Amino acid sequence: MSRDIKVMVTGVGGQGVIYLVDLLVSAATRSGIRVSTSEVHGLSQRGGSVNAGVTFGENTFGFVDQGEADYLIGLEFLEAQRHLSYLHSLSYAVIDNTRILPFSVSSEASTYPDTPELLAFLEEQIARVILIEDQLEEVNPLHRHLFVLGKATTLEGFPLTSHAIEKAIEEITRPALQEQNITLFRQGCGTDAGIKRHRAQGGQGDQTARSIV
Amino acid sequence: MGNEATARAAIEAGVQGVFSYPGTPSTEISEIFSTLSSFDINSVDRTLHPQYVPYPVYFEYSVNEKVALEKAIAFSIGHKSALCCMKNVGMNVASDALMTVAYQKIYAPLVIIVCDDPGCHSSSNEQDSRHWGRMASVPLFNPAHPEDAYQMAKEAFLLSAEIQLPVIVRLTTRVSHTRSTVGYNGIQLNQNPGAFKRAPVQINIPARNADAHQQLVDKVHSEKFQRYFWNNNSLTSSSSSNLYGVISSGVSAVYLEEVLSRFKLQQRVATLKLGLIFPFPEKDVLLFLKQGFKYVLILEELEPVIEHQVRSVAQKNNLNLKIMGKGFSNLERTGEYSISIVTQVISDFMSLSLKEIKKPLQGLNGLVSNLPQRPPTLCVGCPHRATYYVLKLVIPRTDEGPLLCGDIGCIGLGALPPLKMLDTVNHMGMSIPMAQGLSEAIDHQHPNGVIAIVGDGTFFHSGIPALLNAVYTKANITVIIFDNRTIAMTGGQDHPGSAKHQGTHNVEIEGLVRGVGVESVSTVDPFNVKQMFSTLKEVISHQGVSVVVAQSPCIKIDSPLLPDRSQMKVVVDHNHCSTCFHHVDKTHPCSQLCTPSSGLARARAKIAADIHLPAKHQSCPANICNHGFFNSILAGDYSTSLAIIRDNLLFARTCGDICHRPCEGDGINKVPVKQLKKYVSSIDDNFNDFTTLDKRINEARRQHHSVAIIGAGPAGLSAAYDLLLQGFSVTLYEKEHSAGGLLKFAIPDFRMDKGGYETEIQFLANHGVTFNFGHALGSEITLDGLLTDYGAVILAIGLGRSLLLDQVEKALPRHQKYSAVDFLRQYNLGLIDLRAGSTLIIIGGGNSAIDAARTAKRIDQNNRVILSCLESREAMPAFDQEIAEALEEGVELITESEVNNIEAGDDQNFSLTLKNTLTGKTITTLKGHYLITAIGQSGDPESLTGNHGIVLDKEGRLPGDPSSELSYDHPSGNRAGALFVAGDIASGNHMSLIGAIGSGKKAAIGVRRALQGYQYEYEADGPLQALNSRHSHGVDSSHALMWEEQSPDQWSGDISRFDLYQPCERCNHCIDNFGCPSLVKVNGKVQIDQGSCTACGFCIDVCPNNAIKWAEATADISPVALS
Repeated sequence: MSRDIKVMVTGVGGQGVIYLVDLLVSAATRSGIRVSTSEVHGLSQRGGSVNAGVTFGENTFGFVDQGEADYLIGLEFLEAQRHLSYLHSLSYAVIDNTRILPFSVSSEASTYPDTPELLAFLEEQIARVILIEDQLEEVNPLHRHLFVLGKATTLEGFPLTSHAIEKAIEEITRPALQEQNITLFRQGCGTDAGIKRHRAQGGQGDQTARSIV
Repeated sequence: MGNEATARAAIEAGVQGVFSYPGTPSTEISEIFSTLSSFDINSVDRTLHPQYVPYPVYFEYSVNEKVALEKAIAFSIGHKSALCCMKNVGMNVASDALMTVAYQKIYAPLVIIVCDDPGCHSSSNEQDSRHWGRMASVPLFNPAHPEDAYQMAKEAFLLSAEIQLPVIVRLTTRVSHTRSTVGYNGIQLNQNPGAFKRAPVQINIPARNADAHQQLVDKVHSEKFQRYFWNNNSLTSSSSSNLYGVISSGVSAVYLEEVLSRFKLQQRVATLKLGLIFPFPEKDVLLFLKQGFKYVLILEELEPVIEHQVRSVAQKNNLNLKIMGKGFSNLERTGEYSISIVTQVISDFMSLSLKEIKKPLQGLNGLVSNLPQRPPTLCVGCPHRATYYVLKLVIPRTDEGPLLCGDIGCIGLGALPPLKMLDTVNHMGMSIPMAQGLSEAIDHQHPNGVIAIVGDGTFFHSGIPALLNAVYTKANITVIIFDNRTIAMTGGQDHPGSAKHQGTHNVEIEGLVRGVGVESVSTVDPFNVKQMFSTLKEVISHQGVSVVVAQSPCIKIDSPLLPDRSQMKVVVDHNHCSTCFHHVDKTHPCSQLCTPSSGLARARAKIAADIHLPAKHQSCPANICNHGFFNSILAGDYSTSLAIIRDNLLFARTCGDICHRPCEGDGINKVPVKQLKKYVSSIDDNFNDFTTLDKRINEARRQHHSVAIIGAGPAGLSAAYDLLLQGFSVTLYEKEHSAGGLLKFAIPDFRMDKGGYETEIQFLANHGVTFNFGHALGSEITLDGLLTDYGAVILAIGLGRSLLLDQVEKALPRHQKYSAVDFLRQYNLGLIDLRAGSTLIIIGGGNSAIDAARTAKRIDQNNRVILSCLESREAMPAFDQEIAEALEEGVELITESEVNNIEAGDDQNFSLTLKNTLTGKTITTLKGHYLITAIGQSGDPESLTGNHGIVLDKEGRLPGDPSSELSYDHPSGNRAGALFVAGDIASGNHMSLIGAIGSGKKAAIGVRRALQGYQYEYEADGPLQALNSRHSHGVDSSHALMWEEQSPDQWSGDISRFDLYQPCERCNHCIDNFGCPSLVKVNGKVQIDQGSCTACGFCIDVCPNNAIKWAEATADISPVALS
């Protein structure tokens, strides 16, 4: 790896943001890449917004500031949109169209943002965006993190190989979940058809997105 | 992670005892030792778990930080090395111990880790703990990153051992929660035995403290520190220029390093990074400053601790430098620094224009401004939410309601929407003293008192002395301890009430509270809604200190106390969620607001009421939504309540006066609808406010057709009202010279507010209904003509003719006899002039007879009034309550009697013989002065004479269904306007006011079906038909009278006995007031996210519509299919 790379992971408390960060750290370490992370714990774990910075390279220390993230891994649509200002014109983003409604939306006091609008914006402004709309059967909608990470590994220049991440999954995941998580990850990478899924028809995110809490 | 590196350092340094209180961002340090202490050391595979120690480390979550530090000090005095960790504000609690310990002598190393939180990610303030070093004369390290933290924590143990002082390592969130690769070393096996040697130095008394202070000052100036300065402060020099020097400390040093490296400025700037900042390394700093810089920048988050020291060094040494610190460029005293802040600062400092190579996105604003916020919330299944919810049911959240003084921890989340159940949240432990102080200060303005809300962890931490103080000072407060058996916010650490480690004892809160002297204490499971409701209601009115322990384990903790919920799930029946059962026509006007407070009122009724009635059991023939009407009153919203009546019925006040309330049935344990209606319509401001109706009429779509209504009695007027609201132009023809019908004359003034009735009628005139008075059918107007001119005609001509008895007509002169209707009419017109103390005999058993009898008694109390009727008392057609009231007023009643013979006496009197209707035997002969015949009314056949094909029956009626068109022969041979019939003339039986209104409304539906293509039937046809099938209603008068006597304020108390339930389309209660994150509204219906739902089942009690239910976990139930 010749340059420093900064990754921002966003989501909602309970979606596994910190678990993904652990994986990235473990995979980088095993690949001999210097890695640092910075995250904030506390109230964010009570269903609040969670984000974590992961930086790879000699002169970075885990801190990702606005306009600095080379990759955005968004586990939840609204939270990904909230962190847009961290992207720059050459960024890559992989955003899961999982929609976790905050109270103000479930009480119909405010509206959840529009998927096509953000997608069109990102397609115009950044290097590449992947919006994940796959329905994964038999997968807890709150635990799609590895599928999303799998997608991220397909992005140009992503600092870690899927092999290193698989090894990391084996290392830090409870044995009972290992196989399932690796399958889900490979599914995201596009190298395993083991999980039943179907591509959402029509592609209109608003209609097909899963609404979960 | 910085925290883990710190813990590893302590382990390598041979720590023997760890004492802490959990608090973000410090918690992970303690967690490692907590895991260790419960770890079976012999079974550890050390290659997999190198962090585990090969010897036991004593660990405890102490009750608070003060106790933790005191115990750690004692450990050190007892010759064992100790670590004490806490978050920033924890040091305030521990500071008493800290300030004095430095005067004493410790033997084994003692290191204190304190984690600051610039930016207040999870703290009640962003205090700068570096001040404690100087304040207590205790050495303080300030690491910049995890590697530093590891290194400096180890150094801290060495330093502490060497100078026999406690040493503080101060981290910040960005150090604690940053992860990077940190190399570690072997573990020093430390099995020092404990020991204590008696020595005067262990006795801290004023006589020696001054000397001790001097010794301490000498100690912190010791040369021993120099080595530690060299080890922990680092220096870089610049090669190309000697203009710029930067002194930094903490995470700012990291930002600096990244910025200098990114912009390749390392060669142009010399840097000094300080690690050990108290005592201040004056010599090193002086050496750095003397390199000949022109400008020196100080980078440190929060307070200018280093900056002041540097300025002092420069000033003492007369250095000619420009020092930039707080206030320069973007350097603030608040919040966190960042790479972008430091980039800007370096730009300004070196007069450069540092441009990022990466191009930021353009036009972001529209996408990121105004996004829905995602504040933290209580977890799905959290017992605290249950307690808060029940408390919300119990106390009004108005200015007059009790004040709620909250505390920190998860319960603090109760301040946020949708619960919004806290008025104050301060620092840890402030809730109970706050409640006492406020109660003392403003008690008289808050008769409902003040409530303190505190979590179990905080109660043990600092609530007990506060509670003791409340008991001792006889405070009048309620304390609710939200006991979820753990310190939940930081991830479920132990406290004395949740002890699970070996060698710890579990303390029951209730016993402790009693021990402090509180007499009123109860422990209640928050998921037991009814018990919690009644307990809270009771204690809040209790004088003195009362305590409720709301006890249920945190859902996030693997507690054996949590019930097994794996077999069941919770589902929503969408047939009952946000569904209107009242209106078939969903476009029907509905004034129900369903605000959070009305939802709460309905939900409270579900829990608190002792009488639960489906609203369909109290339905109104005039289609009023009694459910919405009643629940608006429960919510205290009388104006909405009146509006809901007026959605269907103009005559709210008149019905409040004289409706015979068929909806109340036998009246026993039924909602007193009539009395409530009377109350809401008696509030003049509401009654006279027709703005909503004005708007509705103005906005109604104009209909092409016009409608004629013959007869301006209640039936005709009600039809006119409904048609007006639908945009029809309506013309009323009335043979009398005013509107209102028989009602106005036949009902005595004492029974109804005639002025209110006039106002209600006037509303129609004001909104374009044309009234043609003095137009009798058959003379001024003809049916033929109307049917030609109008799209539809409603015949609501009433029964204008009184039936008479031949015997009476033959025997008595004109001035001795009346028909009941005439009598009442003349009375109302002031034309009755009876002889004083006369005897009146009334023949008949209906309401007119009773009205006439009561009127006669009212004219003169000395009148003797005798009522003779054919029926038994039970079978009399008059309303039971009216009969009872008449009897009370002194009317004499002779039942099962009929006129046998009547003989005129002189000009003034007559004699009347009554016989038994069954046996024919003479009952009595009465002397009377006046006789009133009240045996019924009939239609006037003459009025319809000559109208084609319409034939009245022998009683002069036209029995028919008001919504069905009446067929007739039009002279032209073509069918013209549609003809409908409504009111008394349409009914085969005795008609009541509400029946007349219902029949008028039903005729209006008929008109709409004929002219507008309206597709629905009359919605209240069931209750309307039921009226006809019932002859007498037997209303329990005692029940009704009870309401008559009471003021509205008392009602609201009493009507809380009732729960008149029915789903409501506009209901949003569970989301508005409970807000469990598993409840999500999708397309207007609530769904339960089964992925996150913990099946606690509490929302089943929350839903006022009974739409949330249990189901088998395995059941495949789609929300809609369930019913």
